[in-house]
Amino acid sequence: MAIDPNAETRTGRRGRGADAKRDREVELYVEGADWETVVDAVEDETLTVNMGPQHPSTHGVLRLVLELDGEVVNKLTPIIGYLHTGIEKSAEFRPWVQGTTFVTRMDYLSPLFNEAAYSMGVEKLLDIEVPERAQAARVILLEFNRIASHLVWLATGGMELGSTTMMVFGFREREHILDLFESQSGLRMNHAYIRPGGLAQDVTDDFVQRCETLLELLPRKIAEYEDLLLRNPIWNDRLRDVGHIDAQTCYDYGITGPLLRAAGVPWDLRKSNPYSGYEQYDFDIPTESAGDCFARFLVRIEEMRQSMRIIRQALDTLPGGPVMVADKRIAWPSQQSLGPDGIGNDPEYIRHIMGESMEALINHFKLVTQGFTVPAGQVYVPIESPRGELGYAMTSTGTNKPYRVHVRDPSFVNLQAADVMSRGHMVSDVVVVVASLDPVMGGVDR
Amino acid sequence: MSELYVPSPTHGLTGESVSLQDIEARVLDAFPEITADVVRDELTLHVAPDQLVEVMTFCRDDEQLSCELLADLAGIHWPAGDHIIERQASTTGWPEYRTSREHGAIEVNYILRSVTRNHWFRLSVATPDDDPRLPSVTDIYKTANFHEREVYDFFGVEFTGHPDLTRILMPDDWLGHPHRKDYPLGGVEVDYKNDKFIPPPDQRDLREVVD
Repeated sequence: MAIDPNAETRTGRRGRGADAKRDREVELYVEGADWETVVDAVEDETLTVNMGPQHPSTHGVLRLVLELDGEVVNKLTPIIGYLHTGIEKSAEFRPWVQGTTFVTRMDYLSPLFNEAAYSMGVEKLLDIEVPERAQAARVILLEFNRIASHLVWLATGGMELGSTTMMVFGFREREHILDLFESQSGLRMNHAYIRPGGLAQDVTDDFVQRCETLLELLPRKIAEYEDLLLRNPIWNDRLRDVGHIDAQTCYDYGITGPLLRAAGVPWDLRKSNPYSGYEQYDFDIPTESAGDCFARFLVRIEEMRQSMRIIRQALDTLPGGPVMVADKRIAWPSQQSLGPDGIGNDPEYIRHIMGESMEALINHFKLVTQGFTVPAGQVYVPIESPRGELGYAMTSTGTNKPYRVHVRDPSFVNLQAADVMSRGHMVSDVVVVVASLDPVMGGVDR
Repeated sequence: MSELYVPSPTHGLTGESVSLQDIEARVLDAFPEITADVVRDELTLHVAPDQLVEVMTFCRDDEQLSCELLADLAGIHWPAGDHIIERQASTTGWPEYRTSREHGAIEVNYILRSVTRNHWFRLSVATPDDDPRLPSVTDIYKTANFHEREVYDFFGVEFTGHPDLTRILMPDDWLGHPHRKDYPLGGVEVDYKNDKFIPPPDQRDLREVVD
């Protein structure tokens, strides 16, 4: 910060060194005088402002350092790590199956995606094929989870722009989806329901009925959101032409998911690299060409509709059969029915291991205490999470614990682009930009 | 923003797909020193650190490979010494693995992905774990910035040429690099209210915890 020494104000400079880095090391202090004259005396008006780490509209514990010229953002530096819990390290000290309970806590708005990607990584290492019923049930639950995640994005994004109505609407419908998850896994979030080899237990008898009810409810509600926002002047003014990013910059910053699709690239891992039986279902990849925050809003709304199309088809063709691989070295007994206490205690299975087969009891005991071992090797398993490419780079050395689990979290990667997206915009647009990125700090910091 | 990157005219799934064999042949034609292996339908190219920037630039700019995305960048620590996995192969059925390394290494895997041609493969680079040093690829892919900071934070790999190589997830004043295998889980001195030191899990006296 440099000051014109001839300016007739009562400002002064307080040097820290004789002549070292004079421009940087000088502090400006103001004693009285009119602000206008002070500002005139300063050549470089750049102001560094801290936002966060607990700002209510920064999606968890995110801290942004803004370099401002007046009210225009020159540079934005995201500072992360406040939610770091060492999940990747902890997973190295627990058997493979228990890893699902760790990874589900990373991206807490899409826990099932973390479980599914982790499980698919273990399955790829084990070279096993998951039963069809488990694959279809996974798809249904994943797509419901995608809708729930987009609803939270819509709700929090609306709240950040002052639309508390949208906030209440979004969380209201999400709760219905979480009710479905709770009925299947016992937990609203952090389910640990998708396990290596299949599902923790079969879906309940009323599963299809519950999904049907949701499929009836959600289209009406999504139309309601569009009525509320699509032609809303405030929503349009705040989102249009803000946070623009083109496809080439997306590539450069490694951005995937709705942001890349809003920039006009029809890239979706469900289409390009189908997993878990996605190739059977007919659905479109919504794209927009504008590449601004409004385009992302349109893409995510349309993605919810496409998710419902997939769920519809998956429900119609939901096959019967087991939901866990038959290999007894890997499979936890998934046929256990729930007792009145909510804990699986299938009398048939108990009779088998306690009364009939010593080997079955030994196997059960070893499986529970030690877990199964996984052949050595490295895999990288990417899936399409609500925020983009969620990749699990897993390494096994042939033991019953992972040697290393690295998560390529889309929020972590996409957050870097907040800088290039908010440059030249006003401070208030930073909130819109960060909201349109939809970062989940649990996933960013892991 | 992307002044270093000449935009390619194709956007989104228009290019002809390339098989892993073709990718391998293409890269090995240009760089005969590279070794490649395909395991579980995943192509891994083992690259020397001093060649990394050259190979990655080639993979990005080559018409046939056109890797627009650096999808992932992650480290793995392989310490020196014998690592014999004690398991009863008779009951588990899996083959047994024994490894022995004279020198410890930190392996860094780069996942390169082509959106237009729909393929991905892995570049694997190893660097000694007592002085880990790799060239930064932030000039090729801007997304490498956070990833390289994370690998520096967790493994201590110094990426030469990185614009701002600081810790990213651990606190700035943290000592050590927690994802190295010689770094224990827990056992870190933390200021709790009662000044209590929590030992690592395998050294904990459970009776004391109950008290």
